[in-house]
Amino acid sequence: MAFEEVLSELRRRREKALAMGGEERLARRRAEGSLNARERLELLLDRDTFHESGLLATSYRPEVRHRTPADGKITGFGRIEGRPVAVVSNDFTVLGASSSVVNGKKIKHVRQVANESGMPLVLLGESAGARMPDRMGAAGRGILGQDPTEYLRDRRTPWVSALLGSCYGSSTWYACLSDFVVMRKGATMAVASKLVTELAIKQAVDAEELGGWKLHTATTGLVDVAVDTDREALEVVRRFLSYLPSHNGEPPPVAPVPPGSDDAIADILDVVPESRAKTYDARDVVLRVLDRDSLFEMKPRFGKSLVTALGRLDGRTIGVIASNPKFKGGSIDADACAKATSFLVFCDSFNIPIVFLVDQPGFLIGIEGEKRGAPGRIMNWMNAMSLVTVPRVAITLRKNYGQAYLNMGGGRNSDEGAAWPSADYGFMDPATGVNVLHGLREEDDPERFKKLMAEIQQDSAPWGLAEIYEAKTVIEPRETREYLKQILAVHSRRPTNGVGMHRLAVWPTSF
Amino acid sequence: MARIEVLSDITGTVWKVLVKPGDKVVEDDSLLIVESMKMEIPLTAPEDAVVKEVRIGEGDAIAEGEIAIVLEA
Repeated sequence: MAFEEVLSELRRRREKALAMGGEERLARRRAEGSLNARERLELLLDRDTFHESGLLATSYRPEVRHRTPADGKITGFGRIEGRPVAVVSNDFTVLGASSSVVNGKKIKHVRQVANESGMPLVLLGESAGARMPDRMGAAGRGILGQDPTEYLRDRRTPWVSALLGSCYGSSTWYACLSDFVVMRKGATMAVASKLVTELAIKQAVDAEELGGWKLHTATTGLVDVAVDTDREALEVVRRFLSYLPSHNGEPPPVAPVPPGSDDAIADILDVVPESRAKTYDARDVVLRVLDRDSLFEMKPRFGKSLVTALGRLDGRTIGVIASNPKFKGGSIDADACAKATSFLVFCDSFNIPIVFLVDQPGFLIGIEGEKRGAPGRIMNWMNAMSLVTVPRVAITLRKNYGQAYLNMGGGRNSDEGAAWPSADYGFMDPATGVNVLHGLREEDDPERFKKLMAEIQQDSAPWGLAEIYEAKTVIEPRETREYLKQILAVHSRRPTNGVGMHRLAVWPTSF
Repeated sequence: MARIEVLSDITGTVWKVLVKPGDKVVEDDSLLIVESMKMEIPLTAPEDAVVKEVRIGEGDAIAEGEIAIVLEA
């Protein structure tokens, strides 16, 4: 047969590459219950859509060429719900998926194609860091940094990372540049591994403490959500992408509206207490406003006094920033500021309209916040707000005090402002206002205190704001969903098909 | 078993204690309610756990960062 020898050579090379790091290592992973890099891709992508780029790539170093199938990072293109994506799946069975010269070229290629052809980039992280000896010594330095845009994040297309094992080096860096990060519990993400860290600082460290899911979901905010298994993580990636456009040049996709989506708002008056002293969980409000089962919360364990969530309203993707009185009474702390700012940047970059649901007593004041640079974060948020070009609607449910009124879309910081009749505006809580303004404490003269508080409260009701046309409308709480449907349809930016100007596209990914 | 110290995230007065040692709690359950900034603000469980110790009582003043409850997970 013609070509027989070369065809058999091709078959042999393909088989060798697909065998990954060998049966022994793959069996060990199976025993541990973790999927391998190719199984993960099968679960992530629509069936039979994976087109691999670089199957036959190996290390350029002759001494390891025979044991570096695909050079440890499996790259290519596929589809999720029919839409194209670029993927990188780290194969830990091949030299710990360490970063090398050749696999660096592979990542660069799919990243560039994703950008140029307008498709999301999905990175399945599990890597040991830089490969030695590739990066050793002065010669190693000559290899590093040859692509000055390697770590540029300009948000032309969505990037998503799943952290599915030990993540150091490239898996960590790309996660920190991503729009959304999911972590499997038990995985770690850190600058350097436990071993390297212990050797360097001569102190025992716990891997979970160094970079586990609790640290990153609650303290650093670098990870959005944690799940129990690889399978769940990949499902979350698919779900996240369902809300997003493939690239920033188009609006997000429209989904069918599940039947019954208009029903949940009916009992909203039982969810939000009339007394402003009492709290509730904002998520119970948000899910009643959104299409049924469409709530997708980002960073739920971080900066909890604000909820940031994707969802759908009338089938269209929106981003919600809601005060959550259940945590710290809804007062906005330094973490919540960072969370809100990164969410604004994300929504604006991908043409997602933003809805503020406001019930906040102000920024959390106190020494702890000041130490963490709270004023800087508050202004960082305002700076980002000033550059947003997607539609914004702000609804005041109850409290709306202080400077945070502006951060939460007050005045010209949104396209439309509306209020519930229970809204209360002012520089601070009316009772505290009597303390500050009149120097009077309730226990000193309860009668006079009551009178002065009634005066202040009268001034802080939404009617005044409606009269001067700052609140464009006062809505019955049960009308909230209907109001948002109508007003977002009004502000649909027809001339640009809802595509914004993306002035926040190069905003830092951490700050 | 990991020991989790739940610190008050605000300064105020403890109004109600909602749990006792031995109680099982899930993430975001309210453990106690602090009166602060004219509001009744819950202190919530950071993760699923069992209540080990309750360090404060109703009517006590509590400061931001103070240990209120100890959990075990």
